[in-house]
Amino acid sequence: MADLTTTWLGLTLKSPLVVAASPLSNDVEAIAAAVSAGAGAIIMHSLFEEQLIEEQMGAHRFLDARTDMDAEARTFLPDVDVFSMGAEPYLAQMEKLRQRVDVPVIASLNGTTPGGWTDYARQIEAHGASAIELNLYEIATSADISGTAIEDMQLRVVESIVSLVKLPVTVKLSPFYASLPAFVRRLQSAGAKGVSVFNRFYQPDIDLDELDVDRHLVFSNSSELPLRLHALAILSTTTPISIGCTGGVHSGGDAAKAILSGAHVVQLASVLLEHGPAYIEVISHELNQWLDEKGYTSSAEARGVLALNSAPNPHAWERLNYVRILDGWKPRTSRR
Amino acid sequence: MDSIKYQTLDANEAVARVAYRLSEVIAIYPITPASAMGEYADAWAADGQHNLWGTTPDVVEMQSEGGAAGAVHGALTAGALTTTFTASQGLLLMLPDLFKIAGELTCFCLHVAARTVATHALSIFGDHSDVMAARGTGLALLASNSAQEAQDLAAIGHAATLLARVPVLHFFDGFRTSHEISKVAVLEDDVLMQLIDPDALRAHRARALDPDHPVIRGTSQNPDAYFQSREAVEPFYARCPSVIDDMMARFATLTGRRYHLFDYVGHPEAERIVILMGSGAECAHETVEHLMAQGERVGVLKVRLFRPFSVEHFISALPSSVKAIAVLDRTKEPGSVGEPLLLEITSALVEATARGTRASLPRIIGGRYGLSSKEFTPAMVKAIFDELSRDSAKTRFTVGIRDDVSGSSIEIDQSFDIEADDVSRAVFYGLGSDGTVSANKATIKIIGEETAGFAQGHFEYDSRKAGSTTISYLRFGPRPIRSTYRIQRAQFVAIHDPEFLERRDVLATAMPGATVLINTPIAADRIWDVLPIEVQSQLIDRHCRLFVVDGYGVAERAGLDRRINTVMQTCFFALSKVLPLDEAMRHIQKSVEETFGRRGPEVVRRNIVALESALEAMSEVTLPTQISTTRSRPLSVPADAPDFVQRVTRLLIEGHGDALPVSAFPPDGCWPTGTSRYEKRAIALDIPIWQPDVCVQCNFCSMICPHAAIRTKVFSPAALEGAPAGFRAVPESFDPELEGLLYAVQVAPEDCTGCGLCIEVCPAKDRLQPRRKALVSEPLAEHRERERESFKFFEGIESAPLAALPIDKRSAPLRPPYFEFSGACAGCGETPYIRLLTQLFGDRLVIANATGCSSIYGGNLPTTPYTTDRHGRGPAWSNSLFEDNAEFGLGMRLAIDVQAGRARSLLTAMRGSLPSPLVDALLSAPVDDSWVESQRARLEELSRLLQNDPSADARALLDLIHHLVPRSVWIVGGDGWAYDIGYGGLDHVLASHKKVNILVLDTEVYSNTGGQQSKATPIGAAAKFATAGKSIRKKDLGLLAMSYGHVYVAEVAMQAKSAQTVRAFLEAEQHPGPSIIIAHSPCIAHGYDLVNAPAQQRRAIESGVWPLYRFDPRRVDQGEAPLQLDSGEPHLDVADYMTNEARFRMVELRSPERYATLLQAARDGVAQRRALYEQLSHIHLPPEKHDG
Repeated sequence: MADLTTTWLGLTLKSPLVVAASPLSNDVEAIAAAVSAGAGAIIMHSLFEEQLIEEQMGAHRFLDARTDMDAEARTFLPDVDVFSMGAEPYLAQMEKLRQRVDVPVIASLNGTTPGGWTDYARQIEAHGASAIELNLYEIATSADISGTAIEDMQLRVVESIVSLVKLPVTVKLSPFYASLPAFVRRLQSAGAKGVSVFNRFYQPDIDLDELDVDRHLVFSNSSELPLRLHALAILSTTTPISIGCTGGVHSGGDAAKAILSGAHVVQLASVLLEHGPAYIEVISHELNQWLDEKGYTSSAEARGVLALNSAPNPHAWERLNYVRILDGWKPRTSRR
Repeated sequence: MDSIKYQTLDANEAVARVAYRLSEVIAIYPITPASAMGEYADAWAADGQHNLWGTTPDVVEMQSEGGAAGAVHGALTAGALTTTFTASQGLLLMLPDLFKIAGELTCFCLHVAARTVATHALSIFGDHSDVMAARGTGLALLASNSAQEAQDLAAIGHAATLLARVPVLHFFDGFRTSHEISKVAVLEDDVLMQLIDPDALRAHRARALDPDHPVIRGTSQNPDAYFQSREAVEPFYARCPSVIDDMMARFATLTGRRYHLFDYVGHPEAERIVILMGSGAECAHETVEHLMAQGERVGVLKVRLFRPFSVEHFISALPSSVKAIAVLDRTKEPGSVGEPLLLEITSALVEATARGTRASLPRIIGGRYGLSSKEFTPAMVKAIFDELSRDSAKTRFTVGIRDDVSGSSIEIDQSFDIEADDVSRAVFYGLGSDGTVSANKATIKIIGEETAGFAQGHFEYDSRKAGSTTISYLRFGPRPIRSTYRIQRAQFVAIHDPEFLERRDVLATAMPGATVLINTPIAADRIWDVLPIEVQSQLIDRHCRLFVVDGYGVAERAGLDRRINTVMQTCFFALSKVLPLDEAMRHIQKSVEETFGRRGPEVVRRNIVALESALEAMSEVTLPTQISTTRSRPLSVPADAPDFVQRVTRLLIEGHGDALPVSAFPPDGCWPTGTSRYEKRAIALDIPIWQPDVCVQCNFCSMICPHAAIRTKVFSPAALEGAPAGFRAVPESFDPELEGLLYAVQVAPEDCTGCGLCIEVCPAKDRLQPRRKALVSEPLAEHRERERESFKFFEGIESAPLAALPIDKRSAPLRPPYFEFSGACAGCGETPYIRLLTQLFGDRLVIANATGCSSIYGGNLPTTPYTTDRHGRGPAWSNSLFEDNAEFGLGMRLAIDVQAGRARSLLTAMRGSLPSPLVDALLSAPVDDSWVESQRARLEELSRLLQNDPSADARALLDLIHHLVPRSVWIVGGDGWAYDIGYGGLDHVLASHKKVNILVLDTEVYSNTGGQQSKATPIGAAAKFATAGKSIRKKDLGLLAMSYGHVYVAEVAMQAKSAQTVRAFLEAEQHPGPSIIIAHSPCIAHGYDLVNAPAQQRRAIESGVWPLYRFDPRRVDQGEAPLQLDSGEPHLDVADYMTNEARFRMVELRSPERYATLLQAARDGVAQRRALYEQLSHIHLPPEKHDG
C-alpha cells in the first residue's frame, strides 16, 4: 500500500484526494462519509460574495420597502433581526464541519470586489479555516477592458486577501489566460500559496422554443481531464507553489494522471455527487492499486514524473502535439 | 431611584414590554391597531426572552379574539399570569369571556388600543366605542393618554389586579397613542418586581383549579342563588379604586411619577372645566395651561379610572369653585341621554350634591369629539370653554365637525394656535415604499435617546397598498410634548416625491419663513418654472427657503434603488439644525449600523455612501420675487366626473375630507360604486406599451392584470371612427369566429401600477429582437398623454358580441371587468380572481366580503373599484365583519331566494292573464349568458304588460320582477377568515343546500394586518407568530369541504393555469348547491418580487405544493369519480419552490437544521396528499338515489 501523504499549501494531508468546492459541504454527514472514505481535506462550497450581496440587498429592499408603509401593518414578514443575511450561516456550517471531521477544512470564496472579499476572509480566518481558496473568474463582456486590466484587478484582490489573513491562500483559476504560467508567477509574487486548475462554469445553451438563453451546470467527465493535465504539466515546472487539479477526475486512473502531471492534490466533486461521498474509497483504492502496480511507494514519488521537464517526450505537452492530434483526426463518416 | 433611562417608543411597544414581563401565557389574535403588541410578544418569545420570573411566556395565536379570550380565561383559571391585546371588534368578540373573568374575580390585565367599532362603515382608527361597549363586563377601565402613561398604567394595572381581584381593561387611543412615538422613561425589571405583591401573586396561583384541592367553578345557578351571589362581588368593586390609587402611590415612590384616579390640571379655583379621558386630555392640558397664562380660570380633569367609578375620588379631585363642566366622550351612543362618561359624571355630581358633599350642581354639558381619530385640537378645547361661557350653551354638542344636519356642532376659531416657538415642527410627505416613515422614526430615536430633548412622531397613511402616501409629523422640543394633534404650522416641510406637488396642497402647513425641501431630479436652477402656481405663490408669500435634492439619484448611485430614507434624513438634519451637523451625521451613521447591521455589511456600506453623498446633491433655490407660471395643479378628479364625486370624493382625495359637513354623507353607509376610475393616481414610473406587430392576441396580459389597467377588446372596424391619433388596433386573428373584427390591447396609463406582470407573461417575442415582447416597458411620462386619450376612446368602444364564443381563458378577458383600479398592491395575486369573477357574472353579482385586504381594496374610501356597465348594472357589494362573512352571504342568498320564489309564484299565479310562452320562458331554468340576456328582454315585456294591470298581484310582481334574473352570490374573503376566524360559519354554510359560491383568496397569511400565520400558512414558512417557521401542515380546507359530498370544491392558481380557473368558476356557478374555490394568491408577505409570481406559482403546482383539482359532486351520477386532478404528478423538488421565497428562506438562514426538517416534512406532506388525491380521483361512488 503506497503512502498517499501529500503536502499542499503547507498543510500535510493524509491523501491527495480532496473534496472540491461543491454542495456536498452543506451536508455534514456526507462530508464525514467522504473523510472516512479517505478524503485528505475538505473544500467548502463557495461563499459567493455576489450572491450574498444580492440576497442582502434583495432582502433589504424587500423588507424596507414594506416597512412602515401601511397603517395596519408595520411590516409584512417577521422582524428581520431574527435571521441572518451575512456570512454567518456559512461560518456556522464551517464550524460544524470542523467539529465533525479531523482533516483540514478549507473555505472557498467567490467574489467580485476587493472590498467584499476582505471582510469575509477575515471572518473565515477567525472561524478556524485551514486555508482559503479564492475562486477568481471574470467573464469579459466589455471590449473596453483588456486582459491585463482584468489580471491586474484579480492580483489586487489576491494581494488584499493575503495581506489581511495569515492563512495560506490558493487560487482557483479559469483556463482563459493567454499565459497561464506568467499569471501564476504573478499570483505567487502576490503571496498565493497555490493554484488549482480549472474552474468549471455554467454552460449557456439556447432554448429553441422560447428563443432564449438557458443555463445549467452539468457534471464533469473524464474527457475534461486532458486540459487540466496539460496545465498541471506546465505549471509544475514553472512555479514552486502548490498546484491542484480540479475538474474531470472520475477514477483512480484519472487521479494518477493528475499526480503524474504534477498535482499536489486532486479535487473531486462531480464523481462524488454522482456516486456518493463514499466513492472516494473506490478512487483511493484504484489509485493505490496503480501506484503499487507501478512500484511507487508513495504518491509523492509519482508526482510530476510526466511534467513538462521530466516527461519522456516533453514536446508531447507542447503545441506540436496539438498539430499531430489534428493530423490524426479523420471525419467520422470516413471511419469504418 | 436610579438615573432614568429613556427610550423612544410607541405605546404598543411600551405596553407590550411591561405585559410580556409580567405574564406567563399570552393568547393573541391580530387586529389593527393592537397587532403590534402581540407581534412584539411573539418575537421576544421566539428569541427566548424571559419574563420577570425567568421563564419565556407561552405566546399562542388563536383563531379569533373569541378564541384568545377563551384561552386567556382557561389559563387564568389554571393559575397562570395571563394577558392579551386587542381592539374594536376583537374586544367585542371577547365580551362573553370578559363577563366570566370578571364574574369570577380573576386577576387579569387586558390591553386595548381603542378603536372604532364598525357601524355604517369599518374604521381602523381610534375612539372609545369599543371600550365603552365593554363597560358592562365588570372589568375596571383604566385610561392612558400617552406612551409614557400607557407603559406606567400597564404596570399599575397588572400589579393592582392581583390585589383588587377585579380584572383591568387598560386602554389608550388607537394610532394617536398606540402608534405615536415619543420619549418614554422605561420601567426596569426591578421596579416591576417591586410593584408585584408576592402574597397576592401566591394567592392568585393558589386559586388555580387543581385536583389536589378541587373546587367547581362555572356552575349554573337558579333564581334562588344567582342574584345574591352576583351581589357578593360588591365589596371588591368598592375597594378597587383605593387599591388602584394605592398602587399609583406605590408606583410614584418607585418612579417619581404620580398618577391619580382623577388628575386635575388647571386653575385651583377654576370655574370652567372639561372632563375627558384618553389622548385628547393631553391636548386639553396644553390648552388649559395656555389659557391660564392668559388669566382664565379653566381646568381639565383627566379620568384615569372610569370604572369602578369612585365618586369620592372624583369629587375630591374636582375644584369646588367649578361652575360649568363639559364632559367629552370619544364615542357615540345613538339615542342615549348622553354618552357614557357624561352619564357617569352627571350621576356622580347629582349623588354628591344630594349627599351634600358638593354644595350645588354645576352646569353640565356633554359633547362628542374625535370619533375614528378625528382631530382634536387646542382650538376645539378653546371652543368648548367658550361654549361653557355662553348663556345658551348647547347641552349636547359635537366638536371637530360641521353638523349641518342636526346642528350639534360648535364653532371653532381655526386661527387659535398655541404651539410654542421653541418646539421644532416638521412635516414630511412620503411614498409608502420610500422609507420616509422609517427614516423619521430613526430621527426621533436619535433626538430622543441621544439628546436631552423630547421628540414626538405621528404618522398617517392612506389606505392604498400601491403608491400609498405617508405623512409624518415630527416635533422636537425641550419639554415633554403633549400636542396630540397634527402640526398646523411647520418650520420644515419635506416633499419626498415631486408628484405630491401636483396632487395636494403640501405647503398648507408651511409657516412664514419655513424651509421647504423637495426631492426631485430637477436641478435648482430649473425647478422654479415647473412648480404649479399654487406652490410658487405659497413659497413667495410665506418667504420660504426652498431646497432641492436629487435623492433618487443619490440612492440609485449608492445601489439602494429608490430608497431615499438615509438621504432625506441627512438633508433634514442639515437644514433643520435640530442638532449640530457633524453630531447628527455621527448619529445617523450609528443608527444605520444598528438598524441595518444584521442585514449585512453591504446594506450598511451602501447606506453610508448615500449618507455621505446626500449633502452634495442638495442645493438651495434662489426664489424669484414673482410667480412665473400660470399652470395650476391638475384637477384631482376629471371635470366630467359625477356630482357626488365632485362634491365629496374630490375633497376626500385631496385630503380635505375634514371640511365636509355632515349633510355631505349618506346616513346609512351606502355609497355609489365605480369611483376608482375618477382617481387618476399615475403611480407607475414605467407602463406597458403594446407592440401590435408582435402580439399574438392571447390576452394573457389582460387576464393577469391585478388592476384591470390593461384591457383587450374585439370590436367592429366601424368603431374606429373618431379614434385619436395614437390609438392602435389590428385585425382580430386569433379566433375564426371573430374574423373581420378588430383587436386592441390598451393600457390605462394613469391606473397602471407598473407591476410588470403583463410583460412577464407575454409569450410573444419579436423573432429578430427576442428582447422585444408584444408589451414593452416604457416611461409613463413619455406615453401618458397619448395612452390616456387612447384609453378613453377604448373604453367607449362597444365590444363585439361574444356570446357565441365559449367562455375560456382567451375569451374571458375580452369581457368587460366590473372591478378596476383598486388600491391593491402592485402585483397583487388576489385581485385578478375578483376581476375575473366580475367578468364572468358581474352584471348579476352579489358579494359578501370578509374584512381583510379584499375589503380594504374593495371598499375603502375615498374611491372604490367595483363598477357598473352602460346599463348601470354591476356587482353589489357589502362587508359585514371578519368573522361572519359566510353567514352574511348565506343570509343574502336566503333573501334573494325568498324574493325570487315569491316573484315566481306570483308569475305562476298570473299565468292566466299573461301570454303563456312568455311565462314559460320566464320560468325556464337559466342556462348561460344569452339566456340572461333574453330573460332581461322578456322582463321588459313583462314589465310593460304589468304596467297596465292594476291588480295587487301585478303591483307586487312589478316590485319583485328583477329577481327573475338569477343573482350570483359569492362569498369572498381571505384565508384568515376562511381557515380561522370564519371557519365555523363557512363550514356551516357548506353544510347547506343553498346555492352560494365561496371564493377563498388564499395568501397563506393574514395579509392585511401584516403577515401573521393562519391555518393556511404552509409548513416551513416564517410568518408572524411563527417566526421560526411553521411546523404544522397547512389545513386541507378543500378536503374538509369534499367530505360533505355535495359541495363543489376546486383549488386553482390563475397566474399559471387560468384555463382551469375559468372552468372552476363556471362550474361552481352552475353547481346547484354550495361551492368553494380555494385560490392561490401570491402576496407581498411571501417575500419575493411579485413580477415572478407566475413562475413561482408554476413551481408551486409542479412541486405538488399547490395541486390543482376540481371536485364536482354531479360527476357521481355519471359514474365518475367526483375528484379530477388538474395538475400532474409532481416533478419538481419542493425545495426548488421554497428557496425562492423569503418566508421559507429566512427559516433556512436562521436554522438550516430546522429548515431541513421542515422541508422534509413538507415533501412528505406533498407526497401523502398527492397519494390521497390520486386514490380519491379513482374512487367510484354509488350514485345517490333521488326520490321520485
